[in-house]
Amino acid sequence: MTSRSLILQRIRDNLRGATSPEPPPVPVVWPTTNPTSAELRARFVEELRSVHGEPIAAANREEAVVILRELAQASGWNHVLVMDRPLVRDLVSKADLPWETVLLPEDPPARDLAGIPVAVIQADYLLADTGSSVVVCERPGERLACYLPPACIVLAEGSQLREHLPALWSELATKAAEPDRRGEFVIITGPSRTADIEKILILGVHGPKRLVVLVVG
Amino acid sequence: MTSPGLHLSGAPFLKKENKGLAEPHGSRALGESAERSSKHNRQVTLSVPHWEQWREEAHAVKRFSILNLDKLLVEFERNAAARGAVVLWAKDAEEANRHILEIVERHRVKTVVKSKSMVTEEMELNHVLAAAGVRALETDLGEYLVQLAGQRPVHIVTPALHLSAEDVGRLFAEKLQEPYTSEHEKLTDIARRHLREEYLRADMGISGVNFAMADTGSICIVENEGNAGLSISAPPVHVAVMGIEKVIPGIRYLPLFLNLLARSGTGQKLTTYTHIVHGATPGRTFYIIILDNGRSNVLRDPAARSSLFCIRCGACLNACPVYRRTGGWAYGWVYPGPIGAIITPHLVGMEDAGKLPFASSLCGACGEVCPVKIDIPHQLVHLRHKAVNSPSPVRSPFERLIWKAWSWAMAGPLRYRLAMTTVRLGVRLAKFLPWHPAQLGAWTRGRELPEVPAYTFRAWWRQRGREFAEDDDKSGIAPPSLGKEVSA
Repeated sequence: MTSRSLILQRIRDNLRGATSPEPPPVPVVWPTTNPTSAELRARFVEELRSVHGEPIAAANREEAVVILRELAQASGWNHVLVMDRPLVRDLVSKADLPWETVLLPEDPPARDLAGIPVAVIQADYLLADTGSSVVVCERPGERLACYLPPACIVLAEGSQLREHLPALWSELATKAAEPDRRGEFVIITGPSRTADIEKILILGVHGPKRLVVLVVG
Repeated sequence: MTSPGLHLSGAPFLKKENKGLAEPHGSRALGESAERSSKHNRQVTLSVPHWEQWREEAHAVKRFSILNLDKLLVEFERNAAARGAVVLWAKDAEEANRHILEIVERHRVKTVVKSKSMVTEEMELNHVLAAAGVRALETDLGEYLVQLAGQRPVHIVTPALHLSAEDVGRLFAEKLQEPYTSEHEKLTDIARRHLREEYLRADMGISGVNFAMADTGSICIVENEGNAGLSISAPPVHVAVMGIEKVIPGIRYLPLFLNLLARSGTGQKLTTYTHIVHGATPGRTFYIIILDNGRSNVLRDPAARSSLFCIRCGACLNACPVYRRTGGWAYGWVYPGPIGAIITPHLVGMEDAGKLPFASSLCGACGEVCPVKIDIPHQLVHLRHKAVNSPSPVRSPFERLIWKAWSWAMAGPLRYRLAMTTVRLGVRLAKFLPWHPAQLGAWTRGRELPEVPAYTFRAWWRQRGREFAEDDDKSGIAPPSLGKEVSA
């Protein structure tokens, strides 16, 4: 008898006679309140700040390019890891910065990306109630871009803002159910943090110390 | 059979194993931190207007999952395999370790980075890998610290809760040859610098699983540091180890659990990183090991099944006054605190862990804070009943004899009187004994025998009745008839 059969048999034997209830209804968790777009933005900014993230709003792509350029120059970044997504490609190329660009989805070994100080990635959704960015990663390199560089710039369109996780969930669950779906959904809520030493909060223990979310439009 | 790494000998529950926490700083730091976390997280949970409803809903989902465990595990396996994951089953820790050693050999693994996983602590995986010549490094900061110190975690969420910044500074100076510092920012930078190198050269990453979704075959891992994200995406091989109880019917239930776990565990609305992993990404290999290791035995006892609902948030540890005083090592195995006191006896057997259900004041705080509404206090009482009625360290023939005698004495008024007379005589005589009998010595050395009153309550009551009767004869008032009600 294989271990699989043995475990399943043990479970069946030990549950014999137990009556299973009906599957529970899907919990609402948080009700949807249909806030205005301005309210959503205000909540997102407040929540992201509360978890030590840096929200920046740009009225349009032109303004976003200027902000990106200023950010790069102020931080002295000379090398960038770029996720291969339309918004990221567009803004990074227009910013025309004198930095060396590594464009994913090539799948380079982690060691080759280790010295890059910043990643620019694109979020598929933003969550107002928690200040979170939801990134659908399909390749290992895209996953690494979320965690490896010391700074991470998340780009997103304003239309991708949702009220909270439950409001987004049916869209995300549909994506998860696609038969060919591979990779990872990463929900990022602030920069990397720890309080493992005396419960004192320190940012950037393993992942990015700095998380900027640039919302365009 | 005693599990490897089990330290359940000693009294009252592992006093001898608890030397480190007897140091004033260690115990104070841990107790204060746990209490602070408990208060903070409680405030966060109470600010949610429908918190109680969430708990009920989570309990219902977990109950459904456990009562349909066989079907859900098969569904999860099918869907995970369809997305390129290799699913392996292990009936016990030994088999799970064997699977991992085979993977190590197949992929020629020399170094492993691990993110925090209680189930791999159960397996003593680090020791197994070290014995096979594989360098395995914990990457969660707390786990890294206790691994460097050669200790075991004291808490399931904050493993190094007992270490001060000074302790960590000394540890880094000794083990990593870093200049001593007790500044939190600098200490964290040192850990980051050393561990970054490890992610980059690791051949394999090992993680636990917080939730496994049957309908999509996906797994969910939550964390704050980013170490899990790096451990599961930097190396070419990822092995996720999960207990059979981690499966839930569908991804549609996940938002509820993410909201509950973050608030109960660390007082956050969401943890910093939530990873929902769907199978293997191109060019990478992904294994999932489904481990039983005694969990299916818990299902046999309907009253104990809900202990498998646990989502490992650690809220019951922070709330427990016993845990705050003793720390995690006192519980002798991987799972400390109230949840450890009800899980460990099931997983390692009552013979080894029968004392643990007694490591509680039964104040009920653990049950109040549990986000999936496990009735921990009643489980503790249930296990105490089992412990005294089955072979276990608390099943003492001497104690059973005493309780039998007590039961006999309380069964009738004549027996009671005879017993009380014997006790009064015994107490009077015991004063003249110059010694403290073996086991009773622990009690008698710190206490004095009470003075035996000149007469018993019953004798006093009879006498009082007679006095009333005499007064009544004089005054014509009837005596109280209470004597009849209290006489037994």
